[in-house]
Amino acid sequence: MTAVTTRAARRPPPSRASRKQTRIAWGFAAPFMVLFLVFMAGPIVASLAMSFTDLTTRDLRTPFNVNLVGLDNYVRLFQDERFVHSLLNTGVFVIVGVPVTIVLAMLVALALNTGINKFRTVFRVGYYAPVVTSIVAIAIVWKFILQPDGLLNGFLGVFGISGPNWLEDTTWALPSLILMAVWRNIGTLMVIFLAGLQGVPKEHHEAAMVDGANVVQRFFNVTLPAMRPTLLFAAVITGIGFLQFFEEPFVMTRGGPLDATLSSAMYTFNQFGFGNYSYASAASYVLFLAIVLLSLIQFRLLKKED
Amino acid sequence: MNRWTTALAVTAASALLLTGCGRTDGPAGPDASKGAIDSEPATGDITIWAMGNEGEVLKELATQFEDANPDASVTVTAVPWESAHDRIATSIAGGETPDISMLGTTWVGEFAATGALEPTPEGLVDEGDFFEGSWGTAVVDDVAYGVPWYVDTRVLYYRTDMAEAAGVEAPETWDEYTAFAKALKDEGATSGVSLPPGGFDSWQYVAPLAWQAGGDILSEDGTEFTFDTPEWKEAFEFYKSFFDDGVAEPVRLEGGEIEQKFIDGSVGSFFSGPFHVGLLLEQGGPDFADKFAVAEVPGDKSRTSFTGGGNLAVFNDSENRDAAWKFVRWLSEPETQIEWYGISTDLPSTEAAYDDATFSEDPYLSVFADQLTDSKAPPAIATWAQVSAVIDQELEKVTRGETSVDDALASIQQQAESIGTGQ
Repeated sequence: MTAVTTRAARRPPPSRASRKQTRIAWGFAAPFMVLFLVFMAGPIVASLAMSFTDLTTRDLRTPFNVNLVGLDNYVRLFQDERFVHSLLNTGVFVIVGVPVTIVLAMLVALALNTGINKFRTVFRVGYYAPVVTSIVAIAIVWKFILQPDGLLNGFLGVFGISGPNWLEDTTWALPSLILMAVWRNIGTLMVIFLAGLQGVPKEHHEAAMVDGANVVQRFFNVTLPAMRPTLLFAAVITGIGFLQFFEEPFVMTRGGPLDATLSSAMYTFNQFGFGNYSYASAASYVLFLAIVLLSLIQFRLLKKED
Repeated sequence: MNRWTTALAVTAASALLLTGCGRTDGPAGPDASKGAIDSEPATGDITIWAMGNEGEVLKELATQFEDANPDASVTVTAVPWESAHDRIATSIAGGETPDISMLGTTWVGEFAATGALEPTPEGLVDEGDFFEGSWGTAVVDDVAYGVPWYVDTRVLYYRTDMAEAAGVEAPETWDEYTAFAKALKDEGATSGVSLPPGGFDSWQYVAPLAWQAGGDILSEDGTEFTFDTPEWKEAFEFYKSFFDDGVAEPVRLEGGEIEQKFIDGSVGSFFSGPFHVGLLLEQGGPDFADKFAVAEVPGDKSRTSFTGGGNLAVFNDSENRDAAWKFVRWLSEPETQIEWYGISTDLPSTEAAYDDATFSEDPYLSVFADQLTDSKAPPAIATWAQVSAVIDQELEKVTRGETSVDDALASIQQQAESIGTGQ
């Protein structure tokens, strides 16, 4: 500790050159800072303020006419059956979607990291393609796949199973959308995991092999611990992604049938559409808090032990 | 991230909300119109927003206006339907409105409540020239905001070949309608009539039934919702009967699917607006024209259909309001609307236009013209989008057997009351 303080104390005052450098650095950062403050931080704060008022479309031209209503919007949200229902749906998306995506993406990454060197690029592109394709295009293709007389039911028919009308069935609509979202998200995680896998020191594997560990043992005792930070990152971004689940239900089911696929983000979006800006802001803050909470839990569970 | 754009704009205006002083003088009342519009040629720049197909082709028509008014120039901005509502809300919040915007008929109540729309100036157009149901879409609390531009009404599309084989004719009453749909199903259709089992915009299918039964959405004086009435019960039960009898498959067909299923005979009939005529003629091939027809919707006490469409509204903040209203007036003249039909296939909102041979001699369009004399729009209240979403949701519960008609209607009534009319 003392060493640090003395070094700091001895440090000469910043030279003219370094002050100039600092100014240049701020210059480069400024455009982003301005954009961030105006288009991100500003609205985020204003939206919080809005959630304590009764602002609707009617007040658009005269925003000073609104009343402060305190926590009324939040209280109303939790009395609103549809919102609570949407939160539960979102919970299911997260609890099912996140682990499935992570496990599958890890399996794909492991496969690509070891064998079939020749086709590695082809497979990487194949798994990454859904990530970069427009969700609307994907939705149309999946609608064909999931139709009552579609590809999936045709395939099941081969085995003598008659499949349901996936998207119109209250039991199957949610799993169908989760399936699609998982398929779409695998690509992103796969790339992250591949990078992570390549960062695991070879010597550790060699040492484990010398000790007689098999492939599975090496995965759990060498690879996985080394990948902890990568996994944490993956879990957090996938968790946030699934909490904000929106495009799939919006394009494919509009939250139906019978709200079976209504997510909180979609509910919030609908409320904005109705012009209930203050109520929708409150709903987005509830979602925001859920994201913070989930991320904290994940950090607690997966944080690297020093 | 379109969905947050409204949020962004609204927040820009409301950043100072925390110091807001509270609603003291009630919601913004209607601003008075700023005086009559003369008949001098228009001058200056006019900006207009139009959605969908209208946005794409309006410039063609506007050119003719510019020819007749050499000192005026019209700038058309095409706005996609998906983002139009948000964009208009955003422009109102930011005080950056165009001179004119096309509005979905169900948005008029909501945007009029902001005070951003200018009431239609006295003497600009004659109310009596328009279809009653259509004019009603522009009126909020007895004040007209803008004028109806084009209309859209639902008629029954049905397979004539299948009806003929089954020995039935286009239904005129509810009883005939039930028998008709069953007959088409017996001819091999999976759905004798295709109806959405609830969900997005399905209120447009059930509200006309309530009107036909003699009911309405609001009480006479416009202050109370009337969903807990026998007429709505009849409407819901009749709608439900198609699913109970298996005459309508509980499947929601989106645009693109319904034409295909109609052409291949798995859908025997469906309700839609005028644009389906062109689509069917195009996709069905030359032989298909003889295999389908349109008819006025069947009815009970009346044969009232649903009407929607597009209105034109001028904003209070318009910098060139005289010229803007002149352009709106010109667009609502019957001759212009006949011309416009040729460009856009949008149906005229003025009755006189239908005397033209384009409409009166066309087997499809003449049906629409007849139907328009008995068509109705939902009330222009600010909260309609929200109230109608409740109908969509409860109707779905009924058709899927999750709840009874009585419970659904009680729930709609109760939820609608708590949402209010936005007054």
